[in-house]
Amino acid sequence: MLEMWLSGFQGLLHVDVFLLVVLGMVIGLVFGAIPGLGGSTAIALLIPLTYGMEPFTALALAGGVMGSVPMGGSITSILLNTPGTAPNAATCLDGHPLAQQGKAGLAIGAAGSANAIGAIIGTISVLAVLPLANDIVLLFGPPEFFLMSVFALIVVATATRGKMLRGLVTGAFGLMVAYIGYNDIAGGERFTYGIEYLWDGIHLVPALIGLFAVAEMINLTVKGGTVAKSATAVKITSMTSGLFETFRHLGTVLRGSLIGTTVGAIPGLGGTVVAFLSYSVTVQASKNPESFGKGNIQGVIAPEAAICAHDCSALIPTLTFGIPAGAEMAVFLGLLIIHGMQPGPLMLRDHQVEIYGLIWALTASCVFASFVGLAFVRVLAKITLVDSSILVPLVLSTAFAGSYAIDMSIENVVVTGVFGVLGYLMMRYDYPRLMIIVALVLGGNIERNLHQSMLMGEGGWSIFTTRTISIVLMLAIVAVLALPFVRALIKQLRVRPVSVGE
Amino acid sequence: MTKWTRRDVMISAGVAAPALLASRGARSAAANFPTKNIQFVIPYAPGGGFDIYVRVVTPVMEKYLPNKVSIVPLNVASGAGSRGVTQLYRARPDGYTIGILNIPGMFILQQQQGSGAYDLNKFTWIGAMGEGEQYFINVGTMSPIKTFADLKALSAKRPIKFSVTGPEGTAYMATKIGASLLGLKSQLITGYKGSADYVIAAVRGDSDAVVAAVPTTMRFRRGGQLRPLISFEAHSSIPGLPDATSVGQPELENVRVERLVAGPPGVPADIVNIVSTALAKALVDPVVVKWAKENDVVMKPRTPQETVATVTTQKAFFEKWKATAS
Repeated sequence: MLEMWLSGFQGLLHVDVFLLVVLGMVIGLVFGAIPGLGGSTAIALLIPLTYGMEPFTALALAGGVMGSVPMGGSITSILLNTPGTAPNAATCLDGHPLAQQGKAGLAIGAAGSANAIGAIIGTISVLAVLPLANDIVLLFGPPEFFLMSVFALIVVATATRGKMLRGLVTGAFGLMVAYIGYNDIAGGERFTYGIEYLWDGIHLVPALIGLFAVAEMINLTVKGGTVAKSATAVKITSMTSGLFETFRHLGTVLRGSLIGTTVGAIPGLGGTVVAFLSYSVTVQASKNPESFGKGNIQGVIAPEAAICAHDCSALIPTLTFGIPAGAEMAVFLGLLIIHGMQPGPLMLRDHQVEIYGLIWALTASCVFASFVGLAFVRVLAKITLVDSSILVPLVLSTAFAGSYAIDMSIENVVVTGVFGVLGYLMMRYDYPRLMIIVALVLGGNIERNLHQSMLMGEGGWSIFTTRTISIVLMLAIVAVLALPFVRALIKQLRVRPVSVGE
Repeated sequence: MTKWTRRDVMISAGVAAPALLASRGARSAAANFPTKNIQFVIPYAPGGGFDIYVRVVTPVMEKYLPNKVSIVPLNVASGAGSRGVTQLYRARPDGYTIGILNIPGMFILQQQQGSGAYDLNKFTWIGAMGEGEQYFINVGTMSPIKTFADLKALSAKRPIKFSVTGPEGTAYMATKIGASLLGLKSQLITGYKGSADYVIAAVRGDSDAVVAAVPTTMRFRRGGQLRPLISFEAHSSIPGLPDATSVGQPELENVRVERLVAGPPGVPADIVNIVSTALAKALVDPVVVKWAKENDVVMKPRTPQETVATVTTQKAFFEKWKATAS
């Protein structure tokens, strides 16, 4: 295995292959930064270019693209509150407030370095786990997916501290929206009102572009001025400050990477949930959770580390079973098959060099992209000093065009507009947006896996109590629910002796 | 020669009859076809089975067109595929828009969504991306069920649990009809997303068995994860297994997925011929043949007439079984 691992690396050292990884990285950065495009569009467009290539070279190019997309996406999330890709939406929550404080450079630097470290940790875990991939993927069935989705929903919900009721309202709204479209279990469509577009449900990316980009632009128009409130703060941005921040919060990076790696290896939840999960766990673990959402650098580091780690380990189910973890991986699967590589248990046996080459390419691209991000920090940060009269039309037209470009449907643009207004109102009246997104992503998962579990267990609930991982997950859910009360109790106990003493 | 002169004179005099020009345009379009890129509509997302076939075959197909143009795949996945089908149906019938259609998927879609904006009988059928895919019933290799006889014995005691997509999927229909023809009591665990997902469900033990197309079956069998029990083919491609002939159910053979190539209604016959010939030559080109072999796909060309016959047979089969399948 070690031999294959090294020959995968050696393969990348050829000048032409290396240049393709770099080319892939540049494309990934650009496509990642433009909302609506993302890695899936980039790879789909590159497929014809790879026809004449050796499979190894084609995979290296794809790895280059996939590795740098998160970095591209995080740049626009931070500067413009516009998530380039769906997982980057989590980065908006604290990244953009930092930009408003004139600390865009710091946030981009931290996102980049968190990305790179996340990718390296992800890669190491994948290399360690790959031989066991079959067993891991088979351990998780519908009961476990159901419980994992519920767990993720609860963790994120409890992160909306102090706004619990508002979180529940937006979460419930997200779940309602998630059930629009085809019913995967019983067939037929629901809540579509005869509109053909709604058969596939509300598409996530147009909704996200609305909730963040459009909402922010409305906000900026109403307020006027520039994104950053302090020009002096922007000007003192240095290349390395973000990097240092990441190393100061190594615990957050490690936790994020671990969450990303673990969840990525199990098909079903996907990058968006991972990013929000990592964010929420970091809020939970923090000593001053109130600072999140207002520009806490850990709110940038946590999701970014998780996204890159997830992208690495999501290769496990994609390669070993052909189960894609999201749209990008689905297109990537197509690329594999076109090049005569059938994802499945034999993939690991027959195409080891290509797989290791791909993993190396992905990691290298993640690391290079971070350097590019760091190198351009000062230039990029200046975007936050552009006046809204110039910035708003530019961003809005890119956002709407990106939304349309996803699958060339004008309805996407309408969804973006509607969610834009909704997002603005939520900002204005202080309703947390993270619940709506997580509910939107997980609603379908929860319903489908619950139904499947019920069918497996012939209508009985015992299916959840007879499987070890299910039981562990249920205990985890109970623990998360109990945590706030336990914390409050400990706080009370600590305070009491003082009051007695008085 | 005189004809040309006269026409040139008419044009220069500015009295050219639009009808005459149009007829000249149509004639030369057929004779020179293609003069611009051809759009290939795929009513599914990039990365799926139908998308992959198109992306493998079309670059080779370009080589066999009389003029050097590109065939550009266009994924129009909205509305569970109906948006793409409608777009293809409404396109100008000049051969510059063609597409891939899933049969019986399209019958199921129309049944579920009403008559819709297109009439499947009116498409111009051009050919097929290989032979229709037939199915196997499989169990995971860890399953206590070893043979088809074991499966039948279990079915006598309780319904067999099959993992499958939602009711709009072709695999759902294949499972329902297959089980019914073989006299198996079935209970479907629905909602899996695609073939790899429902096959893994069977390997994992969510379900007792799974109906999977030949290429999927072969892939997971080679990986040591699936054990095929019975083939829906006339003669099983895996030796020693029961098949449609040996169990006396020839109708099982009609349970299949066809990837047919079509244009909008009314594409002129000579243009159909050019596209169909290029497709047929592409399917026997070494590049495609090699890919097909690696992926357990049989790439046999089909004429437009044979394609129409396939649609007719499949439609009749669907009409007969749609009550069972839904």
